[in-house]
Amino acid sequence: MGTFIQQVFNGLTVGGIYALIALGYTMVYGVMRLINFAHGDLCILGAFIGLTMLTSTAGSGHPGPALLLLAFVVAIVLVAAAGVVLELVAYRPLRKADRLAAVISALGASLLIENGIMLIWGPEVAVFPSGLLPRITWHAAGASISFVQVMIIVASIFLMAALYLFVNHTRFGTAIRAAAIDQDAARLMGINVNRVIAIVFVIGPTLGAVGGLFIGIYYREAYFTMGWTYGLYAFIAAILGGIGNIPGAMLGGVLLGLFNAFAAGYVSSSWQNAITFALLIAILLVRPTGLLGERVAEKV
Amino acid sequence: MDAKLKPLSQSVSIKGDTLFSRRIGLKGARRIAGGLWVLGLFVPALFDNAWISIAAIFAIYGIVALSEDIILGRAGMFDMGHAGYFGIGAYVTAILNVTFGWPIFATIPFAILVSAGVGALLAAPLIRLRGDYLLVATIGFNAIFVLAMRNNLGGITGGSGGITDIGVPFLFGFQLASQSAMFWLDWVVLGIVLVLMRNLDASEFGRTLRYLKQDELASTTLGVDSRMVKTLAFAIGAGLAGLAGTLFAVQISTVSPSSFVFTESVTLFAIVIVGGQGSIPGVLLGTALMFILPQIFRDFAQYRYLIFGFAMIAVMVLRPQGLWPQRSVRA
Repeated sequence: MGTFIQQVFNGLTVGGIYALIALGYTMVYGVMRLINFAHGDLCILGAFIGLTMLTSTAGSGHPGPALLLLAFVVAIVLVAAAGVVLELVAYRPLRKADRLAAVISALGASLLIENGIMLIWGPEVAVFPSGLLPRITWHAAGASISFVQVMIIVASIFLMAALYLFVNHTRFGTAIRAAAIDQDAARLMGINVNRVIAIVFVIGPTLGAVGGLFIGIYYREAYFTMGWTYGLYAFIAAILGGIGNIPGAMLGGVLLGLFNAFAAGYVSSSWQNAITFALLIAILLVRPTGLLGERVAEKV
Repeated sequence: MDAKLKPLSQSVSIKGDTLFSRRIGLKGARRIAGGLWVLGLFVPALFDNAWISIAAIFAIYGIVALSEDIILGRAGMFDMGHAGYFGIGAYVTAILNVTFGWPIFATIPFAILVSAGVGALLAAPLIRLRGDYLLVATIGFNAIFVLAMRNNLGGITGGSGGITDIGVPFLFGFQLASQSAMFWLDWVVLGIVLVLMRNLDASEFGRTLRYLKQDELASTTLGVDSRMVKTLAFAIGAGLAGLAGTLFAVQISTVSPSSFVFTESVTLFAIVIVGGQGSIPGVLLGTALMFILPQIFRDFAQYRYLIFGFAMIAVMVLRPQGLWPQRSVRA
């Protein structure tokens, strides 16, 4: 029972992070039908920027939580700016081109950001400072739950709820949903689709930067190839829930986190990833549109 | 969908290339290609060992890239797990040679058959997936393959260190041990593959693939069994990659999971799209850019992928049809 509760909490923590990153994939896919392969790298860029902020402000005498908040804000602003530039330079010129051209451009952007991180911060594993957060651990029924885990779970829920309200109950959110259904029709209704896409490229990287920094804080490390590893998981989460579907990405993230935690806890950690990918292929075969995605006939 | 019409409009928009091919003609272009291949045979006489091995690697990855192009460029299926089939061929040769003591040449049919078999088995259920979903599923396959090799599947793959000390091939009693001999082997196989590719394009199967890619619905109404054709294309592509895997195992004399990771699949995918889908010179040009160019600018090795990333975006933005696109097919 102890293991079970422990894995539920581990799974929810990681699942919350996956969900935050998956939202970036799914929103871009929803509006542009493009797999933004560079998204994972943007998230890890957030982790590195946050780490730089934390190490450079450490020992300045200000309270820890304030410094942490500052690190998050700076990471979000810079990563969102990078996201907007990415869209402008690498994706906007290709919106009318062949789908594959955009895929290659996205892969190129991923390589560019990943190796940019390596050149700036070096190829070594960077370690996050300890003592950022109160070292509280709750023990219950043989499981131990740390303050970091609770913080990540609560923050993820808060951010996802905020996004849900934004997308479903604001004018901008309505514009995003309209552009996702039919860009041309949205344009005819007076929606500025370019602005909608720009907003998507602010929201996605914003949530991604938070997710990336959470990864750094939770595992207390960051390395330049991390974007692919976690990006791929988050992407699987998006597929699991039904790509293009916002609640789907949230559900997929949490389910994948739990699935991963149980695979690691009960089966074997060396086969954990293989099991995750096998699950991915199985889902694609049985229900390619994911758990919450609608069945759409292929356009001819 | 307007994307489907692209190949036709391309032939109009890239005036330079159509003019070029009209001036030289298909036969002339083939003669030039044949001449270049013969010139390539003299690489060992003109360059040192380091360059000979680079040329051998070019030949091997050229074959893999061409085989990826059968699936991606000709059949139009987004296969981003191609390094997996390449790896299967390499591992089959390594295991049969090192563990069971088979001669290298005897392993070749098995390397091809096992890769092709896995490709077909994987493709049969997956090909009904839409483009992006197929792409993701093949990424999953590649990842599973690498993890299985790393975890020493069945105790015969050697874990993350892989398998070392792969033997040298014997041909008619001669040991192909020198770098030059191995290069000639790779170069001859590349030549054979190029002839096969030409025949494939000219064959009924090749034409069926082109038609299927242009308009799947229309081709099925004319009696094309799209599922069968696509599975077969997958099997052929995977089998050729397996053949290249054998050559790779011989050239490096070691196989390890890190040579077949998903990034390699991305590289192959990018070679085809950046070079030009369905275009043999384009794919070979892409391979050369990816594998020969970095050797010339070795001082900038750490910027290699940064530059590749930048170049991939730049080429796609400026020339979305690829550097050397397919000749316009007679309408």
